[in-house]
Amino acid sequence: MNPFPMVLADLRALRWTALAIVALVALAVAIGVAIGAQERAIRRSSAAAADDFDLLIGAPGSQTQLVMSTIYLQPDALPILDGHLLNTLAKDERVAQVAPIAFGDISRGYAIVGTTAAFAGRWGKLQPSEGRLFAAEGEAVLGADVAYKLGDTIAPSHGVAGHATRPGEVDEEEAGHRHEGLGYTAVGRLPRMGSPWDRAILVPIESVWEVHGLGNGHASEEAGNPFWGKRSETGEGHTPAEARIGLPFEGQRVPGVPAIVVKPRSVAGAYALRAQYRQGGTMAFFPAEVLVTLYRALGDVRNILVVASTLNAVLILAAVILLLVAVASLRQRRYAVLRALGAPRAYVMLVIWLGMALLIAAGCLLGLSLGALAARTVSGLVEAQTGLRLTFALGAQEMLQVLLLFTIGSVISLLPALLSYRSPIVTGLRD
Amino acid sequence: MRPSALPEGPGGPGGRALHLSGVRLDHRGGDGQPFRVLDIPELSIAAGEHIGLRGPSGSGKTSLLHLIAGLIAPSSGSVSWDGRIVSTLPVAARDRWRRVTIGFVFQDFHLIPELDVAANITLPATFAAWSIGAAGHERAAALARRMGLADLRRRASVLSRGEQQRVAIARALFNRPALILADEPTASLDAAHAQEVAALLTEVASEVDATLICASHDAALLARMGRVIEIGAPAGTASTERAA
Repeated sequence: MNPFPMVLADLRALRWTALAIVALVALAVAIGVAIGAQERAIRRSSAAAADDFDLLIGAPGSQTQLVMSTIYLQPDALPILDGHLLNTLAKDERVAQVAPIAFGDISRGYAIVGTTAAFAGRWGKLQPSEGRLFAAEGEAVLGADVAYKLGDTIAPSHGVAGHATRPGEVDEEEAGHRHEGLGYTAVGRLPRMGSPWDRAILVPIESVWEVHGLGNGHASEEAGNPFWGKRSETGEGHTPAEARIGLPFEGQRVPGVPAIVVKPRSVAGAYALRAQYRQGGTMAFFPAEVLVTLYRALGDVRNILVVASTLNAVLILAAVILLLVAVASLRQRRYAVLRALGAPRAYVMLVIWLGMALLIAAGCLLGLSLGALAARTVSGLVEAQTGLRLTFALGAQEMLQVLLLFTIGSVISLLPALLSYRSPIVTGLRD
Repeated sequence: MRPSALPEGPGGPGGRALHLSGVRLDHRGGDGQPFRVLDIPELSIAAGEHIGLRGPSGSGKTSLLHLIAGLIAPSSGSVSWDGRIVSTLPVAARDRWRRVTIGFVFQDFHLIPELDVAANITLPATFAAWSIGAAGHERAAALARRMGLADLRRRASVLSRGEQQRVAIARALFNRPALILADEPTASLDAAHAQEVAALLTEVASEVDATLICASHDAALLARMGRVIEIGAPAGTASTERAA
């Protein structure tokens, strides 16, 4: 028994209807796949971006805001912590590493982040793909996607909270808030991390403080060797000061910072530090706590979308099946002729079912591709907007979802096939 | 009017290929009342005979063909082929018997318009086998040549009505049937094509020594038959027979 010649003939006869059915099923599948895969990609990528931020300490306020500003570099005005806390933490036995994070300035739309060279190299984990890490005030190391070249002078501008910038572009706001006469020299580039930090320019925290007239937190400032930003004799570039950079900050006056990232030595230490710095004018938390809350919200949204897309899929499937039942009814005569020519009932049933199952399978496959394409497109948009690289991959969940849809569709497709099975031949021949 | 018996065919009881005995077919009308469509006490048709069925519309000619083909079961009585009762066979066995024994030619051809000539001719073979093989293709080509069809790759939808009926006849012959049933095979054709198809049908049936039963109003076609059986009005279901 070879039903394929008849199946292909039926599909050819359906033509536009068949295409419409495939498109409808594909749409239902694509929506479901895109939602599921995108949500998982966001979850994975955002968690990966927070990998090196074990414990965050900031001034009391919104934890979410601190996470968004520190890890995802979404600009916002944050309250400032006492800078002396950096030294205290550096001496704490429970702390393996500590680094300040200061932001607010921009250059060509890229965030300028003040921190330590150690944290710029994520505490030994990252080796620059080009050049080296900054070693003096006035030097900068570039994120992988920053469109400056090594040796370029980077002119910082004061960022405006809430003002969205476009990476690589100088807008009016940036041009109007330039820190005149100051500039960093790009000395290195970091490898790609797939996080918003790929679009950041990392500079010594001391430089950020000094740009804002806060000193550099070191004794060199009091010794009269304060400022890295003096113009060179040629008037181009800037002369890095010879002052030491990084922890500890031994100056009498250590400027404040919006955030401190801590790498605890142990889990117990992490919890103890969190408990200690949750009071007394500071706020300490694990970014994972905030992410879990965000994921829960994201999960709720996803669940709503999944329910909506499932209903959508069911409605589309029902419409498709009704359409196919109608088509099969219109073709009763054709099937009756096959029976009159000696086709067994099973043959006719197989022709009808196989035709429908093929359409649903084609819709599922096309839907998978469209869903993947949609998810990739959205990932591209998210990356363009935030710098967060979303690693999209079709998972077992999507495959299962599609398989379920195909199975249900195929089983329901038996209905018109069974109707034809029971239909008297002579009735079909007379119609 | 009382239904009359149909005389036996020339083959006599011993050589009869098809035998209907006490066959009655009742339908229910729109008012729910049953009415008799066919009442055939006895009918025998010998192997290789060419039989015409004549009668007014609604007289039961098509029903008789359906009954012989096992598409409907008689309300009573039996249809036998080569001494074996086929009207009571299970559905699957009846399908198999029909596929192996019968070639059907319809008034409206009922080709599959999306398939080409070759695929239409070989279609019945796909009911039972995955592939028809080289021999099947050769047979299809030979049948097409015999029917005067030059291009096997043409879609059925682009053929003339005469060509379509020739393809339908080739399809009916593909499985080498012993019995060809034709329901108004010339009714949809103009006079020239009708003549051509009538000649072809009777010729090829003779060539393969198949029994041919044609239900038709076409006098020219019926004139080619060895016997013509008159099927009466549905109310009386009187049946008579005369030699053509």
